[in-house]
Amino acid sequence: MNDIEIINLWKSNSKKINENLLLNKKNAEDLIKMKTQSLLSSMKPVKIFTVMMAVLWVGIGGTVVTNIFLSAYSSANHFFLYSAALQILLTAIALVIYLYQTITIYQTDITEPILATQEKIAKLISTSLWVTRFMFLQLPLWTIFYWNKNMLENGSLPLLIIQGIVTLSFTIAALWLFFNIKYENRNKKWFRIIFNGKEWAPLLNSMDLLSQVDEFKTEK
Amino acid sequence: MKSTQDKNAIFVSVIESHKGILYKIANAYCKDSEDRKDLIQEIYIQLWESFDSYNDDYKYSTWIYRISLNVAISFYRKENSRSKISSPFNTEIFNIADTINFEKEEENINLGILQKFISELKELDKALILLYLEEKSYKEIADIIGFSETNVATKIGRIKLKLKEKFSQIINQ
Repeated sequence: MNDIEIINLWKSNSKKINENLLLNKKNAEDLIKMKTQSLLSSMKPVKIFTVMMAVLWVGIGGTVVTNIFLSAYSSANHFFLYSAALQILLTAIALVIYLYQTITIYQTDITEPILATQEKIAKLISTSLWVTRFMFLQLPLWTIFYWNKNMLENGSLPLLIIQGIVTLSFTIAALWLFFNIKYENRNKKWFRIIFNGKEWAPLLNSMDLLSQVDEFKTEK
Repeated sequence: MKSTQDKNAIFVSVIESHKGILYKIANAYCKDSEDRKDLIQEIYIQLWESFDSYNDDYKYSTWIYRISLNVAISFYRKENSRSKISSPFNTEIFNIADTINFEKEEENINLGILQKFISELKELDKALILLYLEEKSYKEIADIIGFSETNVATKIGRIKLKLKEKFSQIINQ
């Protein structure tokens, strides 16, 4: 088929569609009278729940930890205190990134040209990678918070060695993931295993779209 | 100043005149018929919400293409596109026969090949070929996509080449 034949085929198809497609005026009018959807109502309940839990965790946890720092620092278990403080700080950073991303995507102007709009949205969704990186960075903290002075001074050597290996492994894994979870590694097998699952589909699709945008920009 | 009723009526009449655009874009980006209905509804709502900021420097069609394609590409990316809007009544905007057939069998086959080819394209290429098939000028396509006219021409040239190969492969089979 040549260009003209293909265009003519499409034209005939468009003509048929226009003849057969009927606008349901009542539904069309009813729909525009509906209240505009808010950001909150457009979010899935599970996401709202997760955000609320994170806010509570950071709010309550932050208050408790700050109070201990201010009024009971000398008597507190410093391993627990610093682990908890760092964990809350990292959760707070992840939460801020997530909220910034969600609000900015909601406010994106979709009347702008496609390439710029899609690049902006895809880049914002890709910031989810930063959320994951910060969440992974918390890993070693969960192996430290229960340490105490007595355990280190009087604990059995084998137990301390095992503890040391666990903490060191978690630290290495957390740091490795923190530095390697990035757009450039999106096609690596380990990356696809971590981000396997329906909930990660928007992120992976966004990264595929960013590749397309890159192709558009680099191809001449 | 226009009354709300006038504004609603103008908007519905703009959609009426460009209904084919919404349908064809939804068709190209969604295989599933339920998803297609949801996408049309989502595009319609986004068009309505942007109607106040419509810039008459552009044609209605350019404005509709930008929003519809932006929504379609974003919609495609979502993990679960369903139940975006919950409404107590049936909000289907368009009524259309399940199948639209040409009288000549050959035309049906060729259209099938063309639609399959489009559905297999990446999101941005899909937008380009749809605009090309709608006979938009390279300038208008460049305005909608946000790309230079030269690059639009190069890209479309490559997609057309692939399409011709597809047709010739099938004919030779």
